Amino acid sequence: MSRINDVGGMAGFPPIAEEPDEPRFHADWEAHVFALNGALIRRGVYNLDEFRDAQERLPVQRYLAASYYERWFAAITTLLVEKGIATAAELEAPDDHAH
Amino acid sequence: MSGDHVSSVISARVRRVEDLLEGRGLLDAGEIDRRIDEFAAGGSPANGARVVARAWVDPGFASRLLADANTALGELGLSMSGGLQEQRLKVVANSAAEHHVVVCTLCSCYPIALLGPSPSWYKSEAYRSRVVRDPRGVLREFGVELPAETQISVWDASAESRYMVLPRRPEGTGALSEAELAGLVTRKGLIGTALV
Amino acid sequence: MTTRTDRFAPGDRVRTRSADPAGHTRLPGYARGAVGVVVEPAGAHPLADDRARGVVGPARAVYHVRFAATDLFGAGDHTVTVELWEDYLSPVEEQP
Repeated sequence: MSRINDVGGMAGFPPIAEEPDEPRFHADWEAHVFALNGALIRRGVYNLDEFRDAQERLPVQRYLAASYYERWFAAITTLLVEKGIATAAELEAPDDHAH
Repeated sequence: MSGDHVSSVISARVRRVEDLLEGRGLLDAGEIDRRIDEFAAGGSPANGARVVARAWVDPGFASRLLADANTALGELGLSMSGGLQEQRLKVVANSAAEHHVVVCTLCSCYPIALLGPSPSWYKSEAYRSRVVRDPRGVLREFGVELPAETQISVWDASAESRYMVLPRRPEGTGALSEAELAGLVTRKGLIGTALV
Repeated sequence: MTTRTDRFAPGDRVRTRSADPAGHTRLPGYARGAVGVVVEPAGAHPLADDRARGVVGPARAVYHVRFAATDLFGAGDHTVTVELWEDYLSPVEEQP
């Protein structure tokens, strides 16, 4: 069962799009997600392969709809719940249901 | 929903997770900001360019770099230990006979500690899916047309090593200083999607 | 289990595992069940497949293994070098 991340050799993807003068991060929250993941791995909350695995087993439609750092954040919250550090309800922002 | 709105919703969620982890003793106050600052001050393609320029002017360094890149980096005060753990670096040298290009088909492995964050195209499914199967076609999209007799070697960073390409020194650069040579080297050259 | 980093030497022909694991793995699908040539050893690390399940086993040897594109995709004049744990590899007996 090849996972959704395992795209080497797969047909159907478009030409490669370069972004001129691309910034390191496209929004502050992306930098925060990057730093948060590093902090949690350094603390041993989870390891890098658990983090990759958590991205790879996101529901496929969600994975494909998500941006790079949205996938990261989804993996982080998945692992925090699975490791018993927080509940899914605690990780939802207060206004998540307002939209 | 606008992109800005999506961004503000996820920003709020990220802040909430940070607050919660801080409350549970899994993050220190200010730790995230500190890590972001450290990362911004860390690797950049200028490091890779310095390595390449030194290899161009010093054949002994080039041999040491190709044999054991981690040790050779130390000669320039650089290392692969800026990330989560020290990683093995393998440098692959282009020649008239062989052109190298680097990818991570399974995720987005890249020598961040040395080169800083990778560009979005490197992380895209388009690049990752296609470059292992049709590197010549992908290189053409980047404006790189190689002679048919040049062998293309793709390196898939599927385990613990990270790769960097040592481009060929352009002709007519004999009079340039090492610093001027470093200025010729691009991030794409270090990945293999540009000649230099 | 002991790890011998000299289990394969540069130039050895190896065949990759063809099994399709249910979980995380670092053997790309395109390189499954293929024959390639060992380029060089690349150190030893606990197997990623185990670490993804929270199990940290002993260090296992890792190798750069080069494949001809034709052996992976049926076409192409290039090569692809993949970095693979010894657990994914078995020796290919040379023809006498």
